[in-house]
Amino acid sequence: MKRLFDWLHARTGYRGAVHVMLDEPLPPGTGWFFTLGSVLLALLSIQLLTGAFLTLYYAATPDHAYDSVRFINTFSAGRIVRGLHHYGASFIIIALVAHLLRVIAFGSYKPPREATWLSGLVLLALILGFSLTGYLLPWDQRAYWATVVTINVSKLTPGAGEIVAGILRGGSTIGALTLTRWYGAHVIFLPATLILLIVAHLFLMRRHGISGPVRQREGAPFAFFPSQAARDTTVVLIVTILLVAYAWHGAPPLEGPADPTDATYVPRPEWYFLGLFQLLKYFPGKWEVVGAMVVPGLAAAFLALLPWIDRGPERNPLRRRTVLSAVVLGFISVAVLTSLGWLDTPSSAASPDSWSLREIGGRVYAQKLNCTKCHAETGLADPLEGGPSTRGPEWIAGHIVDPEMIAPGMREPPATIHEREAAAVAAYARRAARDAYPGYPPNIELIAPVWARYCVGCHKIEGDGGTDGPDLTHEGTKHDAATLRRWIEDPEQVDPDADMPAFGDRLSAAQLDAIAQYLASRK
Amino acid sequence: MAHIPGPPAPTGRRRALVLFVNTVVALIGGGLAAVLGAFTFGSRASASQVRWSRAGTTSDLKPDEPVARVLSVSRADGWYRARARETVFLVWDGDKTIRAMSATCTHLGCQVQWQPKEKKFRCPCHGGVYAADGTVLAGPPPRPLQTIEARLESDSSVLVRL
Repeated sequence: MKRLFDWLHARTGYRGAVHVMLDEPLPPGTGWFFTLGSVLLALLSIQLLTGAFLTLYYAATPDHAYDSVRFINTFSAGRIVRGLHHYGASFIIIALVAHLLRVIAFGSYKPPREATWLSGLVLLALILGFSLTGYLLPWDQRAYWATVVTINVSKLTPGAGEIVAGILRGGSTIGALTLTRWYGAHVIFLPATLILLIVAHLFLMRRHGISGPVRQREGAPFAFFPSQAARDTTVVLIVTILLVAYAWHGAPPLEGPADPTDATYVPRPEWYFLGLFQLLKYFPGKWEVVGAMVVPGLAAAFLALLPWIDRGPERNPLRRRTVLSAVVLGFISVAVLTSLGWLDTPSSAASPDSWSLREIGGRVYAQKLNCTKCHAETGLADPLEGGPSTRGPEWIAGHIVDPEMIAPGMREPPATIHEREAAAVAAYARRAARDAYPGYPPNIELIAPVWARYCVGCHKIEGDGGTDGPDLTHEGTKHDAATLRRWIEDPEQVDPDADMPAFGDRLSAAQLDAIAQYLASRK
Repeated sequence: MAHIPGPPAPTGRRRALVLFVNTVVALIGGGLAAVLGAFTFGSRASASQVRWSRAGTTSDLKPDEPVARVLSVSRADGWYRARARETVFLVWDGDKTIRAMSATCTHLGCQVQWQPKEKKFRCPCHGGVYAADGTVLAGPPPRPLQTIEARLESDSSVLVRL
């Protein structure tokens, strides 16, 4: 073995390179605070690797991007690799901020390290660019609508709003051209630039040496390997274990496929953009540009000019109070804005995991109307649950109303189906194509078809339904079950002026009881 | 860049640190390699995609004469659902029994054709010849034509399992 390495060294001189890399001289007192750069390097490497492998299954077209990401979620290694990449992005932001604050606190940007500092800031901007472009790629509701917001914000660029937005969008609307463009940026342009800049950043770091502790200590410099390397490794190990725990815990979120016509969706950015998101709320109308461009721009300019604002050789943070207070104040503002944005979750948004009553009702109808006779695991047609559907909403609606017409060769005579039952089955088919049926108690499965057939025409629950009657999402806070039952049975018996028709002769006693109890339980 | 040697660490401590660093690097690297390896190879759909498809009725068939039917079957290809066209030969005995054979030559995958005069299947590529029941009569094919499960329904429609 040794002879092989000797031969390799004789031909390549690799031991010299290893020596240069590992035996970097460090000033005495360099300790745990100086491990953050290595953590970032490790996280970025994991990101680069998992990202490269994710391209094996990803398709950057609006027709297939969502399905391909969902496919990655169907097998455990896929969930873990996507999890590492997804949560890794958040870990990088945290490590980045920690590294930045360490450099500021230690005054490490002071001469001769201004260029190292500036290259670090460009790296920060690049990494935010990765977050922004990567966010669109799953092409789910969250991705689509967050991008709508991003591109609308870019329109506020003074003097060149439409030009910038056009460059970001690629086409005239957010669509196929946006997706390929952001994909190209995310996997080719940004990584290439990032690698070059990391090399430059590390080269500058080695050229000037580590800044070391604030007060110079007595003693000779020591080699990076193995003492400091062991510190770096320890922190990297802890961070990696945390990251793996996150990825192991579950697949990263994937909402419904992007739907540009869905007006009810409330877009929310990833948590590290929540601060900016919140800031925009304080600058309405024509002042919006202040929140979107001026404040972030001033913050960026302040950071870039920091080595020239904070002059003089003093590195002790306690003797640089003005600069440090400004930075701490800025950091606290970002933290407060992020928390406010976090807490400001729209309360009306239905939990994405729970099925709407209409979808549950549609499932009951699909069984009652013989859909599942052919649409079964071993049937003549594709099963309704647990597989991607390549059919659009129009096709599905047409097929439900007249199965024979759109899929010839049917042997079952098509059942006559009410328009609202068809809508419920269509809602169910769309939902079932992306999520497994979680299972609901019998009383819910009893009332869901009633809701989907009758109530949904005029009433709304959690944003789904008509608007002619009152929203019933919190009906339990207004009436008890007994009143509701009497009301549904015959509204005029409770209020002679009621507009709602009587349902006493259309619903069974069990259905009336169940729906009254269900509505009364909605608080 | 000149290497400035630090104070020589006690060899025991140094050895422990080197062991620690190398172990952790190997663990993280190995773990990552294992996960990415599983990711690369581990996506094959485990569930069988075979299911019954309709292949016409007996009125389309002639007794004891192989008839080619082109069927369009839905195949999940990862995230993509493709419709594959497959040719099968149906052989009906005129009564209650139906047999189905793949038209794919077992040699190199060309599509064989039925020659009604000779009562043989001929492969146009390398001269493979099969009898009406699919057994090899001549040429390079290593195996008989693949049989496919088929059944006759009471309403005389033919289902094959593809």
